[in-house]
Amino acid sequence: MSSQIVIDPITRIEGHSKITIHLDDAGEVVDAQFHVTQFRGFERIVQGRPIHEMPSIMARICGICPVSHLIASSKACDAILAVEPPPTGADLRRVMNLAQIVQSNALSFFHLSSPDLLFGFDADPAKRNILGVAQANPQLARDGVGVRRFGQQIIEWLGGKRIHPAWVVPGGVDAPLSAETRDRILSTIPEAMAAIERALAWYKSSLLRWEDEAASFGDFRSAFMGLVDEAGNVDYYDGRLRVMDADGNLLADRTDPRDYQEYLGEAVEPWSYLKSTYWKMLGYPDGVYRVGPLARVIVAAQMGTPRADLELDEFRRRLGRVPASSFHYHYARLIDTLHAAERIDELLRGPDILSPRVRSFADVNANEGIGVSEAPRGTLIHHYRVDDDGIVEWANLVIATGHNNLAMNRSVRQVAKRYVKSAQLSEPMLNRVEAVIRCYDPCLSCSTHALGEMALHLQLIGPDGAVLDEIRR
Amino acid sequence: MTPGALVIGYGNVLRSDDGVGWHVAERLDNDPRFDGVTVLQRHQLTPELSLDVSRADLVVLVDASQGHPAGTFTIERVSAVEHSTTTWSHRMEPATLVGLAQELYGHSPEVHLVSVGVASLDVGDRLSPALEAAVPRVVDAMAELLAARIGQHLVADGSRA
Repeated sequence: MSSQIVIDPITRIEGHSKITIHLDDAGEVVDAQFHVTQFRGFERIVQGRPIHEMPSIMARICGICPVSHLIASSKACDAILAVEPPPTGADLRRVMNLAQIVQSNALSFFHLSSPDLLFGFDADPAKRNILGVAQANPQLARDGVGVRRFGQQIIEWLGGKRIHPAWVVPGGVDAPLSAETRDRILSTIPEAMAAIERALAWYKSSLLRWEDEAASFGDFRSAFMGLVDEAGNVDYYDGRLRVMDADGNLLADRTDPRDYQEYLGEAVEPWSYLKSTYWKMLGYPDGVYRVGPLARVIVAAQMGTPRADLELDEFRRRLGRVPASSFHYHYARLIDTLHAAERIDELLRGPDILSPRVRSFADVNANEGIGVSEAPRGTLIHHYRVDDDGIVEWANLVIATGHNNLAMNRSVRQVAKRYVKSAQLSEPMLNRVEAVIRCYDPCLSCSTHALGEMALHLQLIGPDGAVLDEIRR
Repeated sequence: MTPGALVIGYGNVLRSDDGVGWHVAERLDNDPRFDGVTVLQRHQLTPELSLDVSRADLVVLVDASQGHPAGTFTIERVSAVEHSTTTWSHRMEPATLVGLAQELYGHSPEVHLVSVGVASLDVGDRLSPALEAAVPRVVDAMAELLAARIGQHLVADGSRA
């Protein structure tokens, strides 16, 4: 007879989900599943809406990464208008997208994950939070506040507000950059970069501490996917898809991301609203691949900026060319953030960044458009079909968290088998099951196209349905 | 003129009365009683606000409440907590925000929380009639609070007394 453990809901992630851990008659873990239990249905909601409304509607998918959806949606609209934004308009979109990468990565590393990394997974949950971090390591907490403010301020200064700015529009951006705003942003970059580099130094100094967790936090062979530019370096806004296997071989390179349906399949399981995306060549469910910061630093030849490249070289010396453990998302996320800050600086120093030509105007010239970019959590695809009047007839969104769904489930299984002992449930073992999910920084609001405050609730249920053990926090 | 004062109105403006903090904050823009006051609108309290809070002398938070009759409101003093009870790190309770300002920047100012009872949390971008009627009263009460408290904290040029 079997039993199951339910962790519901999971804390310190975006959205609502739960984990069930299935036990065999001997009480050993035989399976575990990550369930996304919310449904929002944006792909259906937008049917019948005019194309020019799409970026603003799609930004409402998420309060954490609205800019990512603005970017991908506007790029899909560009294709339907059959226009290219002026170069300065594209660069300004890049700046805002990079600011989004910075602020979201900062939220994940400093606010959501640093309590575990500072105090350890066995520590008292009462201090494993941002206030506990502030008391134990105020510099780390101040840097978290500073780096996230840095990204948020750029979004606010460019778009007029930090959440749901309407500045990114089909054809480019709505207004050019002023010299005053450019200089204001540039003045904040050195402090932000110093804070990111302090966090990197702190993280690297404690890397050996996590060898045990790294060996079981999603430590398995899989492919990795991300966008790269013509030189093969990281590209968050444009570029081509590169997919690398666990041995460093390229499964795909220079692939047009607009052909995603040829390569990526989307499977639906009855126990989750989150679709599982897989690499078609390897089939379902074997076609597991990972996206996001870890995938970006793996598939890219280099980051493409000096300080991030130095960090990437060290990352590879320490962990190898294709590190298999998802625990290393944390390390990769900091390198990703450093690169984003450097790129913002580069772009803002471009000779044409203040050009008034920032938007191309056109009417509907195509009935289908696909926009692809890198969001903080990985590759984001918006795909629309419209009628001749530009009314949306169909939409498909492939979200980073969906790309990672198979990997997250495999990771939860691995951690549960390593740490969960049914005879004596404990908070630290459950925290590790949650923490492996946090490595991926899943955004369930995005991926189900909710919100709410979650407390952890775990139940051990016996074969007769009785609750054998229960933990809440 | 109330230098050194910070108002943060927060909530979800797409859930009717939950956005009352935003609506109150909007009313302050053209009200001379709030000249010099820094006014922020946010969806929720986040750790980043700890820096803004630490730089202020007086802070007024405005939020919706399901614990009050619709249209009524209370103003309560918020004290910093030393230990957070939440495991959620990107939405904070007022006391945790004040505690964070103290821990990180060495200053936790006088903070008041205005809690306004809601009638509807349905999807919608407008306040219910009860809350529409309440907003001017909330603004008047905040103006009185600022006028009464600011003199105890500031000298005329805005520096701390």
